[in-house]
Amino acid sequence: MGSKTITSFLRIFFLLFLQALVVSRLQLLDGFVLPWVYIFGILMLPFDTPKWLVLILAFVTGYFMDLFTGPMGMHMTACVALGWLQPMVQRLMSPREGYDAIQEPTIQKMGLSWYLTYAGILTFCHHFILFYAETLRITPFWYQIGHIIFSAIGTLMLLVVGQYLIFNKKVKN
Amino acid sequence: MKNIIELLKRHFVFVLFLILFVFSLVVLFSSNRYHNASFFSQSSDWVGKIYDWRDQLQRYLRLKEINDQLALENANLRSQLPENYFFIDTTKHDVQDSIRKQRYFFRSAKVSNASVNRESNYLTLDRGRLGGILPNMGVITNGSVVGVVSSVSDHFSVVLPILNPKFQESVKMKGSGDFGLIAWPPGSDPAYADVKDIPKHVQVSIGDTVLTTGYGSHFPADLFIGYVSELNDQPEENFHRIKIQLATDFRKLSHVQVVSDILKQEQDSLLIQQQQRDGVEDNN
Repeated sequence: MGSKTITSFLRIFFLLFLQALVVSRLQLLDGFVLPWVYIFGILMLPFDTPKWLVLILAFVTGYFMDLFTGPMGMHMTACVALGWLQPMVQRLMSPREGYDAIQEPTIQKMGLSWYLTYAGILTFCHHFILFYAETLRITPFWYQIGHIIFSAIGTLMLLVVGQYLIFNKKVKN
Repeated sequence: MKNIIELLKRHFVFVLFLILFVFSLVVLFSSNRYHNASFFSQSSDWVGKIYDWRDQLQRYLRLKEINDQLALENANLRSQLPENYFFIDTTKHDVQDSIRKQRYFFRSAKVSNASVNRESNYLTLDRGRLGGILPNMGVITNGSVVGVVSSVSDHFSVVLPILNPKFQESVKMKGSGDFGLIAWPPGSDPAYADVKDIPKHVQVSIGDTVLTTGYGSHFPADLFIGYVSELNDQPEENFHRIKIQLATDFRKLSHVQVVSDILKQEQDSLLIQQQQRDGVEDNN
């Protein structure tokens, strides 16, 4: 648990920098697709992390992301909601025998379709709240919905590709 | 009492969630989204340093392009040197100018962070109060408008560029000299902006140049803002709907000049005096 926790902290920290310094600079379709991969740090928290810790970590992550990106509060709001939803979604999707044997939600351990559902729901919720916290407007409606959906798809693709690149080796070793 | 504590214990996570969520919302709505740039910490020094570090790397990768840009500007400036001019009329001679005084002063700065594709964008410059930069100074690059400084820390400053709905500046059409206001629709293409409030009787055609007026005292007059690229006039409206292509390429922004108006204080204080005088007569 100890080393897992430290790994989780480091992962969140690293992803914040990756987001702020690299991913936020990607100009996909003139900013129509805007991936927020830093939430991976929250999605990847081990299953046995206490709920309150997930919330606090999400809050802190959101705070630092806000420092990097602009007006305070947007990422904080979206991340707190994410931190609350994450354990709920995990509980809803728990396999019959429970999560005991496995420690972290990754594609390798849970399978692609499980992971896509899990990450998809949470990513969409996070992006949805984040986007409306940023704009505080609901027009033009379809453009905004498209922006949210395609950004979420972009984030998911980066998460999935990233996992295949990073974790494959670990499993083999 | 015991029951309440029991209840809180059982729903501890939910209570914690509510507290954090409400707190976030309060921060979101209280950080006055555009003007409170001093609180929002892009201008705080450590975030600035991190961005600066990244930018050094990026600037290195783009040296060639920046060299070209600077060489071009050098050539432009060099061509304006007095030595390059000769007098056509030999009966006149050069006079040392003691009548005119310098009004605008330019400082160079580098852009250390910029966003172009958000709803409201900001730039961070690597110079701040210690570099002589103060809020409300204009920022230009290669003779075209970038934005206005909105907040400064010791070593960094945050600029409100044209690509921010809060940016307000009066503009004029070159030639006719009619005034309008520039506005950028939030989240739209960073290469374009709208010009409003130019009445329909004014002849506007595609390709016309849009310049600064020099009224706001952020910028000298006659700096480039852009060129008219589209006219979408609606028959029921009295004003043109003009879309302009911005002269500044915000995606490639690297070196900028910060304009300080030496006479700004004098101009402003005169206006304030006048307003106070009028205010006394009205109701204040």
